[in-house]
Amino acid sequence: MTSILVADHLTKWYGPRLAVDDVSFEVQRGEVVGLLGPNGSGKSTILRLLTGYLRPSRGTARIAGFDVVAQGLQARNRIGYVPEDVPLYTHMRVTDFLAFMARLRGLSGAALVRAVDSVVQQVSLDTVRHLLISKLSRGYRQRVAIAQALISSPELLVLDEPTNGLDPRQIIELRELIRSLASDRAILVTSHVLAEIERVAHRAAILLNGRLLTVHTLARGDRGSELRVQIRAEAGSAVQACLKAVAGVLDARLEAQSDTLETWRVSVSEPVVGEQISQAVTRAGFGMREITTAASDLEDLFLRLTAQEQQR
Amino acid sequence: MNAFATLLVKETKALFSSPIAYVVIAVYLLLVGYTFTASLFITKMATLVHIFFQASVLLLLMIPIITMRQFSEERKTGTLELLLTAPVQEFTIVLAKFGASMAVVLVMVALTACYAVVLAIYGNPDLGPIYSGYLGLILLGSALTALGLMISALTANQIVAAVVSLGLFSLLWMLDSVAALLPDPFGNFLVGASLLAHFTPLATGAMYTSNFGFFFSVTLLGLFLTVRALARR
Repeated sequence: MTSILVADHLTKWYGPRLAVDDVSFEVQRGEVVGLLGPNGSGKSTILRLLTGYLRPSRGTARIAGFDVVAQGLQARNRIGYVPEDVPLYTHMRVTDFLAFMARLRGLSGAALVRAVDSVVQQVSLDTVRHLLISKLSRGYRQRVAIAQALISSPELLVLDEPTNGLDPRQIIELRELIRSLASDRAILVTSHVLAEIERVAHRAAILLNGRLLTVHTLARGDRGSELRVQIRAEAGSAVQACLKAVAGVLDARLEAQSDTLETWRVSVSEPVVGEQISQAVTRAGFGMREITTAASDLEDLFLRLTAQEQQR
Repeated sequence: MNAFATLLVKETKALFSSPIAYVVIAVYLLLVGYTFTASLFITKMATLVHIFFQASVLLLLMIPIITMRQFSEERKTGTLELLLTAPVQEFTIVLAKFGASMAVVLVMVALTACYAVVLAIYGNPDLGPIYSGYLGLILLGSALTALGLMISALTANQIVAAVVSLGLFSLLWMLDSVAALLPDPFGNFLVGASLLAHFTPLATGAMYTSNFGFFFSVTLLGLFLTVRALARR
């Protein structure tokens, strides 16, 4: 795989405050990398350094081989960027805004019309394409922002907290969109919601106080949730078989056992599968005590690393 | 259409689709018209010299209103981030905003030409001072617009941009008024940096290259500092 983005010892000072501290990582073509960290950990600043909005105090970043400072125009030509607050020219109509952004990226004539039509289809903006942006809901505005970022088919797509303010359906649609876009480009996405990163990213870079703590490879980019299920059953009962027989259950592992109480960690495609598990367990004659959402590997790792860092 | 033309069209449309441009132009014409009528009936002379001085002072008041939102608004709404992360040079963005703001100034100044036409129909004015006066207004407008953009690029608050621009313009306009109190070379320096000192010859029909050079230099300096203000990030 080719590295589309190479960040090398990126450092940013805001006056006396160190916002980004010696951060290095790479993003390959076809890969989604999530930048994960609490608010104020430096995620947005890193994106702004990579997209050329801010200049690094030290270190370099290269997009498809082009330095974001020395070869800024070429580098920016290869990036599609959706800033956190989804800034848009709200006095423009959707297609006028997309055409404006396309022209800034050097498209014209038939190529411009094709590009606008293509992104409108891609992010499902057909029904609102002639409306003023000021009339659109938050979800549609987010789509317009993503559409402008995709208009010139960039090699690197950078999304800053893309699920902020979206309803659950819009979040699921956006997740699907990010997965589909990742096939032929690199995607860098930030979030302070672990589950979001876990569901769309191949790797997660964990940040705290501007420092990159680790880059963690996620087991499966498309995996669902983990549930912790407590069941009353006699030792040696076929609880595992019962759990695995439920549609939507990906895996079930015994986590703890005391007398007749077993605690199982169950991987499921969607959290709603918990309801079917409850019914199946009761039908099989076992006692259902509790189902809770389990902390994922990433969550455990995040909590452990941030706790260690804060103890320093 | 290249990036400059794209931005110029967008900025011009944005300015002329807001009521601000029309209100500024209407108030400007109303006030200049009042002065024209009053001076014509009082002096009974076919000249626009009074108009040029009145129009220049009004430019000091009106141009901050045109330039205040150019960068402040973009910074406040976050759209500046969209522009600066697009493959466009900072100076292209600055030139486009300058061009659009100058379009409003030019419309404003051009519409006052109706008073010159009235003079030409009913009197026999000396056209030389009229040409140089209009040239002076355009040069002054260009220098003020560039400085106004520079202030707007430094803040996200439109009101702050307008007030600071107004203060700067007023200071530069009357800088020569204290020149007589200062010893040389300070006095000469203040006269040399005064907008009024360089505008007066043009308004009265005397065209010197030094005055052209002054307004041209202030415009370039303003645009350069605007680009620097954008690049400082």
